Amino acid sequence: MTFATPWLAGIAAAIAIPTLIILYFLKLRRRDMEISTTLLWKKAIQDLQANAPFQKLRRNILLFLQLIALAIILFALAQPEFKDITLSNQRQVILIDCSASMSSLDGGEKGLENLNSDSGAKETRLEEAKRRAIAMVDQMKEPGLFQEKAEEAMVIAFNNSAEVRQAFTSNKTALKAAIEGIEPTDAPSGLERAITLAKAYSGTQKFEDQVQEDKGFVATSPPASIHLFSDGRLPDAERVQTEPTDNVVFHAVGSPEAPNVGITGLRAERAFDNPGKVSIFVGLQNTARQQRTVQVELLLDDTVVKVSEIPVAAASKAVQDAPSSDAGGAGEGGADPAAEEEEWNPGLGGTVYTIERAEGAIARVRLSMREADALTSDNVAYLVIPPARRLAVCLVTAGDFYIKPALDGMNLSRLDVLKPAEYQKLLDNDQLAQYDVAILDRWLPDVKASVPPPPPAPAPGDGTAPAAGSPAPAPPPVAPGGKRPGLPPGRSLVLGVVPPPPLGAVDEGETDTAFFAANSWDHPALRMAELGKVTIVKGRKVRILPETPVRDIATTTVGPGILEITDSDTLALVVVFDHTECDWGFNPGWVLFLAMATQYLSDASIGSAGVGLMGDAVRVGETLSTRLPVGAGSVRIGLPNNDRLSLEPGADNSVAYGPIVKTGIYTVSWEGQGTASDLEADGRVRRPIAANLLSPDESDVAARRRLAMAREVVSAQEQKEVQLTRKLWPWLLLGALGVVMFEWWVYNRKVML
Amino acid sequence: MQRTVNITRPKGLEDLLTPDLVARLGQLDITSRKVFSGKLKGERRSKRRGESVEFADHRPYVSGDDLRHIDWNIFARLDHLFLKLFLEEEDLSLQIIIDCSASHDCGEPNKFLFMQRLAASLGYIGLVNLNRVGITAIGAKEVEAEDGAKATGEGGQPEEVGLLSTLRDLRGRRRLSDLVRYLCTLEPIGTTRFTDACKKIAITRRGKGVMIILSDFFYKEGYETGLRLLKGHGYDLFAIQVLSPQEMEPNIGGDLRLKDVEDGDSAEVTISAPLLKKYRQILNAYCNRLHEFCAQRDIVHMTVKSDMGIDSLVMDYLRRRGLLR
Repeated sequence: MTFATPWLAGIAAAIAIPTLIILYFLKLRRRDMEISTTLLWKKAIQDLQANAPFQKLRRNILLFLQLIALAIILFALAQPEFKDITLSNQRQVILIDCSASMSSLDGGEKGLENLNSDSGAKETRLEEAKRRAIAMVDQMKEPGLFQEKAEEAMVIAFNNSAEVRQAFTSNKTALKAAIEGIEPTDAPSGLERAITLAKAYSGTQKFEDQVQEDKGFVATSPPASIHLFSDGRLPDAERVQTEPTDNVVFHAVGSPEAPNVGITGLRAERAFDNPGKVSIFVGLQNTARQQRTVQVELLLDDTVVKVSEIPVAAASKAVQDAPSSDAGGAGEGGADPAAEEEEWNPGLGGTVYTIERAEGAIARVRLSMREADALTSDNVAYLVIPPARRLAVCLVTAGDFYIKPALDGMNLSRLDVLKPAEYQKLLDNDQLAQYDVAILDRWLPDVKASVPPPPPAPAPGDGTAPAAGSPAPAPPPVAPGGKRPGLPPGRSLVLGVVPPPPLGAVDEGETDTAFFAANSWDHPALRMAELGKVTIVKGRKVRILPETPVRDIATTTVGPGILEITDSDTLALVVVFDHTECDWGFNPGWVLFLAMATQYLSDASIGSAGVGLMGDAVRVGETLSTRLPVGAGSVRIGLPNNDRLSLEPGADNSVAYGPIVKTGIYTVSWEGQGTASDLEADGRVRRPIAANLLSPDESDVAARRRLAMAREVVSAQEQKEVQLTRKLWPWLLLGALGVVMFEWWVYNRKVML
Repeated sequence: MQRTVNITRPKGLEDLLTPDLVARLGQLDITSRKVFSGKLKGERRSKRRGESVEFADHRPYVSGDDLRHIDWNIFARLDHLFLKLFLEEEDLSLQIIIDCSASHDCGEPNKFLFMQRLAASLGYIGLVNLNRVGITAIGAKEVEAEDGAKATGEGGQPEEVGLLSTLRDLRGRRRLSDLVRYLCTLEPIGTTRFTDACKKIAITRRGKGVMIILSDFFYKEGYETGLRLLKGHGYDLFAIQVLSPQEMEPNIGGDLRLKDVEDGDSAEVTISAPLLKKYRQILNAYCNRLHEFCAQRDIVHMTVKSDMGIDSLVMDYLRRRGLLR
């Protein structure tokens, strides 16, 4: 507690208290009363006042009460104030995590006990978070005698996206309704957007509230407190930037020891030499401290075809670096318990099922176990297996020795070798839909230049010469009609030429001999490419511009070697160097690369490439997007809960729905023609799309008690002290008034104690 | 304790005594613990030998005695003349002294009005029993008595100090109106010098009998000398101390300047529980001291509250205390 004007109160006390006591001695104002005789009274006074000069003051409750009232007034004159740390602000932002891990059934005070026992009402983390948030709303202060404004709060629900459920209001009913209305989702977590949204709102204040009389505009808005109700499984928390004035309060829910076994990986592949043979890879993860044996069921079209018991390793304690400050800080107040939170790495497991299935199917992998499992939404994963089919591939080349023989070995339904002019003609006439994949050999077609060209080279003499080794690329020649070489829409494998940005990279010219330094071994196209054995005689240096949909999946000693480029209507793999200038063509890996890349390009869903799934698939939290054939009408989407919604195709004939919040099979259906992988039933074409969680971060449900952000670490239930003070003087004056009223009552009651 | 406001003074008998009480008072009589000599024939046995029918004694005949009183039977037997003596019956003197100082004009009910009613009751009892009733008002200011009564002091001069006025030798029921008229003229004003008043009474009063003093006995000069003087002249004394309820249980509070209604003396007090407690202690001690003083001198002392009913006081309390029968 501090005092604003202690000297003033001291001076006033030095004057007022002696004055009050002297007035009591002087008794200046007495009431006259005639009585029969003063004989007895004088004797009584003489007896009573015989010994003590302060006898008058003894047991005088009136003086005592007046001294108390005076002391309170003097105390108020010093303007005492204190820091309020309970709810430190009048504006609260309530962030409630509704991601998949918040559906874990270990909420509540005895969450883990209830989870491990069959009895007991189980509560999800989200329910606990909502309950605690509502309790906090109930504690918000109403406007009163000394508080002009009620406390305000807003509600934001977030997973990997954030949504304002209720803007700032002091209406508790609306706030509680907004909190109650938050539903669990199967989407992954992400704090960055939620914090950004919260800060955007918390920093604003109504203009009229910031205009003070005689002072004009004064930005007096205190920063709002951000109350985060989450289990702490926020993978992007380290990227969240907070300001020193931000008051982030972390309300942790869930248990750090919550056991969970979930599916974190699911992929299917058809053998390139035998399309009827499907391999389904299932990846499992276990956060329990003990090894778990789970029963994995594979269902094809709701029929169980495989069942096996798979052991999943126990979670292992993560090796943590010893904090450097501990070396000399042994006696400095002890270690923070929250800082000693143990990190556990989940145990991994998995299995592979191989089935013979030439037809398409909807595969479902289901886990069941005897032990307690915190999260159930990751115990099921879906997969759409398209029917086996032979691909139609066109090879556009001016003449090549290595590609055509390699493709001949594949079981293709059609392989057309086209001249560049022929391909350009088909492209201009929009007749490329007959091919699943186009392989462009050291040539790029002219496409419409819909994007701005790269920045021009600096003018001579301006002193800003480009850096050595990175000469500015010459802009590609623009063909008549506004076209220039670039990636065509559809699925393409480009060899020996680099498309220009944005659907490409900056070609910085040829280099000397190069080798593959690192590659993404888990990429489906490169799994058997044997890149480590390849020697590139004439390498090519390219530079990937930021903010472009280009990913380097195999890096050479001089830079990116193989690129993956994906866009809403384009999917391409680009080998930047000339394959004729290396020994890859003499390696079996070259044939396997062409086969795997062709298969990958034909199977992957455009717009979500890199997921690694066979067939159309989308992750929960992302937007479902698929391109329909020309002429598709009456487009509808069927949701996992059997609801149906109508969709309107865009200009490029693609439809989008999302973000997806629940796992399951989403079926896009339309009237018209379908592709080879689509199904037909009841006169409509159906395209099932699987939405899965498949997130190791979300399946790792061990709750965290502290949140490490970019600039600070916030422990659960800990909050920073905000520089807000509450003044006590109005309450003190009220107390003094009460004392004076009590004294008046005593005086009139004539009962002298 | 405080001066009574808006007091209504009595105008006549009906303001002092109710008809019912008057009817019941006729059955009572004053009790005297001693036998006194009277002045006139009355209904009391006197020390003197007289002419009643009750035989008292014989004595030898001397020349000049009434021959009618010679006991001839004795003469026949003894051949000597003896006179037969009978008891005498005379009247009883009842003297009521009423304190008319201003301090009695206090309390609720008013102490002086209570004393007027009590004096009227006792006087009426005395009158109907053919006693000689006298009333003496003591105070500081002269009050003219009505015609036909001896309402002046000794020598016909008004008293300035001590005796205020005296009404003497009322006898018989028909003098009740004089008694009442005198009582109604009294007003509680000024200061009483009790010792001087008692000295005057003792000097001027020659007959003996029952004397009743009605006062609060709050005399700053003390009551001891005055009572001693009266007792020394052989009166059968009854001291009735009249206090108001407020004097016994004060109901005042706050910071006060208490002013004595008689002499204007003031006392500044802050009423508190210890002070009230001390006041009650001193009042009790004062009354006890008065009681002991009276007991040692064969004076009957009794303390009555002014809120006490006159009928219950007279018919019950005073009979138990031996003043009435």
